[in-house]
Amino acid sequence: MPDTRRITGPEETQSPFAFCPQFLAQSAEAFSDGKRRDGRKAEADHRPVFLKAGLISQAKGSAFAELDKTKVVCAVYGPHEVARREDFSMQGQISCEVKFAPFSCRVRRQHVQDGREKDLSTQLLEALEPAVRLDSFPKSQVDVFVTVLENDGSALSAAITCASLALADAGIEMYDLVVACTARIHGTSILVDPSFSEENLKTVSGEKPGGQVTLGFMPSLRQVSALCYHGDTDLDVLSQATQRCQDTCHKLYQVVQDTLVKSVEQRMNNS
Amino acid sequence: MVDVNLSEAEKTFIVHGIQDNFREDGRSNEEYRQMDLETGLMSNTSGSARLRLANTEILVGVKAELEEPKPEKPDVGRLEFFVDCSANAAPEFEGRGGEELATEMMNLLYRAYSASTVLDVSSLCLQSGKLCWVLYVDVLLLECGGNLFDAASIAVKAALFNTKIPSVKVRQEEGEETELEVSDDPYDVRRLDVSAAPTVLTLSKIGHNHIVDASQKEEACCLARLMMAVTASGSVTATVKEGRGSLDPDSITEMMQVGKRVGKAVNEKLLETLKEEEQKGLKRKTVGFLR
Amino acid sequence: MADEVRTAQPKEFYRKYLEQGVRPDNRELGEFRPTVLDIGSKNGSCISTAEGSALIRLGNTIVICGIKGELAEPKTETPTEGYLVPNVELSAVCSPQFRPGPPSEQAQVLSQFVANVLKNSQCVELEDLCIAPGKMVWVLYADLICLDYDGNVADACVLALTAALSNTSLPVVRVDEETGKTETDFKEEKKIQLTCTPISATSAIFEDNVLLVDPTRQEEELSTGLVTVVTDGKNICSLEKPGGSPLKDQQMRLCIERAFQRHTEACNLITQSQGSTLSTLTSPLVDR
Repeated sequence: MPDTRRITGPEETQSPFAFCPQFLAQSAEAFSDGKRRDGRKAEADHRPVFLKAGLISQAKGSAFAELDKTKVVCAVYGPHEVARREDFSMQGQISCEVKFAPFSCRVRRQHVQDGREKDLSTQLLEALEPAVRLDSFPKSQVDVFVTVLENDGSALSAAITCASLALADAGIEMYDLVVACTARIHGTSILVDPSFSEENLKTVSGEKPGGQVTLGFMPSLRQVSALCYHGDTDLDVLSQATQRCQDTCHKLYQVVQDTLVKSVEQRMNNS
Repeated sequence: MVDVNLSEAEKTFIVHGIQDNFREDGRSNEEYRQMDLETGLMSNTSGSARLRLANTEILVGVKAELEEPKPEKPDVGRLEFFVDCSANAAPEFEGRGGEELATEMMNLLYRAYSASTVLDVSSLCLQSGKLCWVLYVDVLLLECGGNLFDAASIAVKAALFNTKIPSVKVRQEEGEETELEVSDDPYDVRRLDVSAAPTVLTLSKIGHNHIVDASQKEEACCLARLMMAVTASGSVTATVKEGRGSLDPDSITEMMQVGKRVGKAVNEKLLETLKEEEQKGLKRKTVGFLR
Repeated sequence: MADEVRTAQPKEFYRKYLEQGVRPDNRELGEFRPTVLDIGSKNGSCISTAEGSALIRLGNTIVICGIKGELAEPKTETPTEGYLVPNVELSAVCSPQFRPGPPSEQAQVLSQFVANVLKNSQCVELEDLCIAPGKMVWVLYADLICLDYDGNVADACVLALTAALSNTSLPVVRVDEETGKTETDFKEEKKIQLTCTPISATSAIFEDNVLLVDPTRQEEELSTGLVTVVTDGKNICSLEKPGGSPLKDQQMRLCIERAFQRHTEACNLITQSQGSTLSTLTSPLVDR
């Protein structure tokens, strides 16, 4: 469908990756030389995380999360009046939108939001709702906008952590911060925080295809706010993976809290 | 989900009943309501099924079309899901009101059928990179009576079981165009092996307990639910947590165990019923829908 | 006290400062805000999934540019020319005035502006983007996303685009003439050569007689007109003055002078950032 509001190039284009046989051939090996594909040693190793709150001057609250190469920016606006007057309710509402930048993946994405982005937006909403005190802003709506600048795996968990940090930075009352973590089940190994190539590992022949589970966790309250899994594995492997995710979330919690404290200190110094 | 307005007293009544494993309609926490299933109702489709779960009515039609496979996966066919929440089911679904619910259902179905072991999609490919079968599964929601996701997934599995794909032979001579030979015999069809296909099981958390197959009133009391796609062999192909409340990690493990057990039983019973219905052949009485 | 006056009577607030020849953020009338540029290391760009990228922070305004290359058939009238497709996105993230959905009028105007700059300056030879004449050419999609809207997004976009293009490398694609098969070789890379570096300088006209270079969002709102001059160091590539208060000859010359000054500043900045080892997005955003 021609997009009349944007400058369009030629109608049909192909990605150069379509013509590269090495790129299309996915590997089934998760480990090489005892290390994971991106150099991490253990299965349970999370990539180095960098978080920063309060970087967008125009937004009420904002945050930036970087999981090695995966980069996510989140802005929070509100609470403001509900868009549709018929949606009056004594509880506040949150509306989430996740968008991948066109240059965030190897193959260029379109500007229009596609099915996968809508799915991630719903998952993000599911993860944030239990943590926010919705009755603190009745008849109002808070908008959460997430842009993924670069996707190297675990985009959803980065988005969830980033969004909850932005909500806290905006001063929206919350019961607890939501920290998220993804785990990829491949054969018998559980890879925590998979990179893009690990997310797309080919099935080892003869074994179950494995799957991917994302867990949104509130560490102080020890409650799960979001659980999202697809694949084909046994229930005990799945339980093990969620347990690993929980443990990683506990570790990440400290980093998130420190970032928040630092940004509050900075705000107080500036004013 | 479509919400019913309940007073606090009614909610307390339901919660207390569930605590004692005794629900409003006399069921136990792990019991399903009466289900009516019929397949092969619509002649224009390759496969169809109608499911009535107490007050919920779902109609599924499967159409098989020949198309080009996706460039990243040139050797496999695929399934495309589409859910339509008709305004018949609830007044909120008028116009674009039912879109949110429909998108959620579609996403869950895509997730559940995403694993390669669920359905043999490589057999749907006729010519690598050029021609494959694409199965368009259209789900129509006719009436809302609670527990829509479960009913939809059971109906989808039944419709896929009922799907008859015509046998097509591909002939390609040197330098000439590909020729497709469709068999003249209407009974020369291919069936799909749905023994590994999953059905969704929704476990709603009410108070400290969890129930299976919530009615509309029970859904209104529930703050969080866990939807699991379980196959007949007991493996879980998708799990999504939904709702404004949060869940305890221990209760999630418990719920998944219950889900696996009940899901297996549902799948077995479903396959049994489908085979029974198939065997009756032309002798069976068709009931039709919206009775 | 100052904050109350700023909110209640913004024009009065600015007038008081401009009488002294200074702006509220301590800048002179012809001074640009501190600019930070991140192009990434020599071997890669700051966004590794893109063929070329750059992040620029102009005061509070943040714009990120990502260049992606795709393959397509050329137009029949120009069989040896590739395509260069820019697009500016003013998403809901950057400001509360933008809602999610199709691009707003402002975004469309900016996209067209950037497209004009590219066409007029001819900084990229479209013939360089040809792989097989008449059969296959490169299409470079330049997507500019504004992450923080604090005025003068136009300058930030042009600078980000130039910086990103200066560090874009495409894989080598070969088309076999006999079989017509295409093959991409990622081990070899071809860097895009820029014929010139277009840099823009925007000035806001305040109360018909004062020119403020690099306006912030508040200054843009109070302004009575805007002028943008794009230069490539030697010539003027484009001059945009969409309506607004009339300018005298002298004032126009001042804008053009400032644009040339900015060009030298910006080119230095680009060369510095290219040689640096900053390879993450975090450095410019940390200094707040």
